[in-house]
Amino acid sequence: MSEADAPSPFAGEKAPASPRADLVTAAVLFALGVAIVIQAWQMPRFVEQSGTGLTAPGIVPGFYGVVIALLSVVLGMRAAARGGWAVRGNSRSAASDRRQLATAALLGLLYAGVMVGRLPFWLASALFVFAFTAVFEWEQGPQGRVRRVVEAALIGLGTGLAVMLVFEKLFLLRLP
Amino acid sequence: MDALNNLVGGFAHVLGGGAVFHALWATLIGIIIGALPGLTATMGVALLTTLTFGMGPDKAMLVLVCVYVGAIYGGSRSAILLNIPGTPASAASTLDGFPLARQGLAGRAMGISTSGSWLGTLFGTAMLALFAPSFGEFALQFGSYEMFWVALFGIVIAGSLSGGDPLKGYIAGFIGLFVATVGQETNHAYARFSFGDGDLAGGLGLLPVLVGVFGVAEVLSAMRGPAVKAVSSKIDSVIPRIRDVTAYWKTILRSGALGTFIGAMPGLGEDIAAWTSYAAAKRASAEREKFGKGSIEGLMAAETGESACVPGAIIPVLTLAVPGSAPAAVLMAAMMIHGLNPGPMLAITAPEFIYQIVAMLVIADMVKMFYGLVLVRPLLWVLLIPRERLMPVVFVLCTVGAFAITSRLFDIWVMLGAGLVGFVLRELRFPMAPLILGIVLGELLDKNLLRGLVLSGGDITPFFTRPISMGLCALTLFAAAWSIPGAANLFRWRRKVAG
Repeated sequence: MSEADAPSPFAGEKAPASPRADLVTAAVLFALGVAIVIQAWQMPRFVEQSGTGLTAPGIVPGFYGVVIALLSVVLGMRAAARGGWAVRGNSRSAASDRRQLATAALLGLLYAGVMVGRLPFWLASALFVFAFTAVFEWEQGPQGRVRRVVEAALIGLGTGLAVMLVFEKLFLLRLP
Repeated sequence: MDALNNLVGGFAHVLGGGAVFHALWATLIGIIIGALPGLTATMGVALLTTLTFGMGPDKAMLVLVCVYVGAIYGGSRSAILLNIPGTPASAASTLDGFPLARQGLAGRAMGISTSGSWLGTLFGTAMLALFAPSFGEFALQFGSYEMFWVALFGIVIAGSLSGGDPLKGYIAGFIGLFVATVGQETNHAYARFSFGDGDLAGGLGLLPVLVGVFGVAEVLSAMRGPAVKAVSSKIDSVIPRIRDVTAYWKTILRSGALGTFIGAMPGLGEDIAAWTSYAAAKRASAEREKFGKGSIEGLMAAETGESACVPGAIIPVLTLAVPGSAPAAVLMAAMMIHGLNPGPMLAITAPEFIYQIVAMLVIADMVKMFYGLVLVRPLLWVLLIPRERLMPVVFVLCTVGAFAITSRLFDIWVMLGAGLVGFVLRELRFPMAPLILGIVLGELLDKNLLRGLVLSGGDITPFFTRPISMGLCALTLFAAAWSIPGAANLFRWRRKVAG
């Protein structure tokens, strides 16, 4: 059994991330930690105001940055010991999973990032819920598709109006 | 006698002004959220916080406590009927709940779940009423030095125990702490990591981040992978049997105590309480071989443990301003939003509030029991809602939740960013509880460290030499050392040698 095939040292119901993924994560986190330290170092110290400089705004985030960088080194070393350099981690997700995830993320981004604030909230919400439901139910085959699309439109409209009524009229909250 | 008066006063205060109506709808929403796989108690409390903005603090807290209690209980429905835990807290309930359902005993399993959960919350609430006031008074001795260690201990213990991998737990905790530093700090009003942006200078709102990490990330997780096939099951009687309770009273007491204790430890939460109670029950049981095959005792232990954890997790919120679980962290944030000031000062500023929370928990527990008996079939229908129709509605609610608190579109972007980061970290098996605890405790740690340094004129020794500080420091170091591979074994070996 190669090192990469060895069972993970960690218990838990979910499989651990692959050594390769941990190695890449460690590199990203190390960069984040170093960036935090650099930013914290460049912050003003306010020595004249405090007398000691111990209230400098950069002290605490700088400490966090150092810890994140150090822990990421440990994560990287552990991943390397588990074969992170040599083994390409097997992708756990199938192509259909990735497509579904990308579709959900794209629709969410379009809704929250583009439509909200530009369209009336009830309309943006109705369009989003309709599009989301219709797109994901499209793959269920041609049988009953028209009924599903009509139902999606009704769910979308119902959601948009219900959210407006409940939040804006009943609970007196401002909507985007 | 004072405590009894305060308790009666707490019930009298909470029960006025349509409290039962609020408790009924909020607990129902909580149970539905908990029952639906993909929606968690944390998300439920975060989303419902939005709805409470217009309410007074007492009604708002009642609603959120009911959602919290209901959601933790609701998770057992899908655990028993679908073999899918509705919330992570119910994972242990699948082990025996689903086998019971497959044996045609779904109703009995739900009855066990209802009685175990009811007794667990009641036990934990009694512990809260007994210990929180005196612990709150003890916590009044805590100064900046001690509060710094309390915050750090919270991160360390959550990092060590909340997931399979302590290293990733620590990293998640420190990322959370870093997120909390974005925006103006308190000493010099310097905007950290704002890059000249006015919105960033205001900091990253706690609620948008929480809604992103627990709402958006969960929508993305739910839409990835095959849809869950809902299984209908014939339901026998759901009325709890007295014999199921009396036969396992020791298990109920043990699980209640364990659940409350684990709840009171910062950041551990209901899932760990359920697993620990389950494991302890299995170890002590005379019917060990039945565990995992439909053991009534196993299901009772898991349900009692997870539900006792809810009041347990509120104890440190009220006394130290340190949440015992992720949903309790959101509850604490909601308390702050509503102008309540959880923490040691609560014992002075509003000692009656602890007893009001006790009353709220008892009311929520009673309503939960009521729904447990009457709401079986409607909940089955709820479980059949396909994710394609449910998740976009959840996303819309997340957007409202992120926006509503300060009416800034920026907060929606924060929610999206937090959701994406939360999803990626989850995929990489980073536990979320330490991340949330880091975000919530960040300000406490930051403020108390700097305040302590100012008070001591830059001398760090008070952090280590004051008696309580010293004890907390030792606890923190011990918790950190315990997670180092080999250290725990070394300790056990020494104990064995000494023995």
